Amino acid sequence: MLTIAILTWREGLRRKLLAAAVLLTILFLGLYGLGLYYASKEILADTSPMSQLQREIVISQLVSVGIYFGSFIVSLLAIFSSAGTVSSEIEGGTVYAMLARPIKRVDFILGKLLGHGCLLVLFAAFFLSALSAIVYCITGFMVNGIYPALGLFCLQPLVLLSVAALGSVIFPTLANGIIVFMIYAIAVVGGIVEQFGWIINSAAMIRIGIISSLIMPADALYRKIVHILLSFSGGSSLNFTQMGPFGSISEPSTQMLVYTAFYIIAAVFLAACLFRRKDIP
Amino acid sequence: MEEAIVTDGLTKYYKSKVGCEQICLSINGGQIYGFLGPNGAGKSTFVKMLVGLLFPASGKAWLLGKPLGNLAAKKRIGFLPENFHYQDWLTGLEVLNLHFSLGRLDPSARHSRIAHVLEITGLTGREKQRVRTYSKGMQQRLGLASALLTDPDLLFLDEPTSALDPLGRKEVREIILEQKRKGKTVFLNSHLLSEVEMICDRVAIINKGRIIEEGPIDYLTGKTVEVEVEIGGRTPNLDAALEEACFSIAWAGEKGKALLSDKEDRARLAEIVIKNGGRLYELVGRQNSLEDLFVNLIREEGEKDC
Repeated sequence: MLTIAILTWREGLRRKLLAAAVLLTILFLGLYGLGLYYASKEILADTSPMSQLQREIVISQLVSVGIYFGSFIVSLLAIFSSAGTVSSEIEGGTVYAMLARPIKRVDFILGKLLGHGCLLVLFAAFFLSALSAIVYCITGFMVNGIYPALGLFCLQPLVLLSVAALGSVIFPTLANGIIVFMIYAIAVVGGIVEQFGWIINSAAMIRIGIISSLIMPADALYRKIVHILLSFSGGSSLNFTQMGPFGSISEPSTQMLVYTAFYIIAAVFLAACLFRRKDIP
Repeated sequence: MEEAIVTDGLTKYYKSKVGCEQICLSINGGQIYGFLGPNGAGKSTFVKMLVGLLFPASGKAWLLGKPLGNLAAKKRIGFLPENFHYQDWLTGLEVLNLHFSLGRLDPSARHSRIAHVLEITGLTGREKQRVRTYSKGMQQRLGLASALLTDPDLLFLDEPTSALDPLGRKEVREIILEQKRKGKTVFLNSHLLSEVEMICDRVAIINKGRIIEEGPIDYLTGKTVEVEVEIGGRTPNLDAALEEACFSIAWAGEKGKALLSDKEDRARLAEIVIKNGGRLYELVGRQNSLEDLFVNLIREEGEKDC
């Protein structure tokens, strides 16, 4: 398993996948930081009490935009880097010689997941840490609960990785990438619908959001992250920071996190079971 | 010597199509075994079942005395796929290191084993180049090196010379013969009948998923004898007499070719010609080649049951 994991890791580095992702992320963070700088410059200049609230709302909205798009980037990386976890090896023919070796198929797929997972976790950790540092340096705004949020931010790509790996046992690479992306899109749109559902108090819209979260919990994780990072201490009921499509009016429950953990385990288990008996003609 | 491969009714279907059906083979160790068949006959399907890429629909098989899928047996097996592909972003050396690790070999032997297989496959000096820079022939050599890396007791080679030039083919034949001299077993899938005839001890011929003939090459090619005859004064009576004696002759004027089941038939044929007033100018026997046998068998579409 470790041999395959190292091979996968090496592939990510050698094929410049991680390098390209980091480069584009730096570009994004640079652009984001620039935008944040000019936005906060105007706001920070006004020191009146009312503008203090405005300042917090605007900055938190900007932070949630940064986290939202960061989450999107990390998710896309997870989907497209792992859409061919198994299928690309089969399509490329590299799997034949490897599976003829004395290794269990379960070890093969777990090794692939371990290799991909490590790369994605590293990237996600880098992204959120960098984002938080930029926000603090430019605005002085310190996000709450950075460590639990970091853990959940790293968990997000693992959810998508597990589904992509499962799909790659069943579908060709291209089809799998599209399918997993569509499932992720359902979750994102469902999450936005749920947010509006809470604002206008629509039970149907909230239900849609919950169902989409059960289909793909990635967006629910994002809402949890935002809620952790931007929630007020002191029990203020006016949580403007949670409003808007990038916010999190209703905090996903702990049960949702437990569900997510089981979701990942179930997807990985199913992928391993299916791959164990898959014909590779 | 331990039996290298034993299969009992091994069968594989692809939806409604037959991949392999009721394959029964018993292959002793220490020989080179050829596996022949036309395109789509089931050769690669059979090999892939044995190395664990495909799962049989029914039947059983044992490799080196262990049932299919046994990891201890897999450790003693080498496999060169027909569609050989290796990670093109790795160097040749890294590919071999990868397969050495996957082969669960003694780490202390890594350097010497890799150096040895690079040498015998002619890749020494090219191992640090990326696989994507290799020609097809070099990639096949790398595949062969990878298959030999674990010093396997049972080696599956699926079209091992398809991408090689004549010199390369000769080198591979020598490698295969060397494996036999070391007491190893080689299972060789090949379209190149001349090559199989040169080095194999036994062959099996598969068609439409079933074994239609199996045995030592000398025995199989000696089973039928082709004779060329030139007979003057042919009459309908002579032709009828020959047909009654079950001599099937393809005529072109006075010359004809016949396939005889044994050498005694030559004397019988000559006797019939003389008795029926014909003049026997020529009767020349020609040893059947494996290609002749193969072509005749495929045309007849015979079957051999377990």
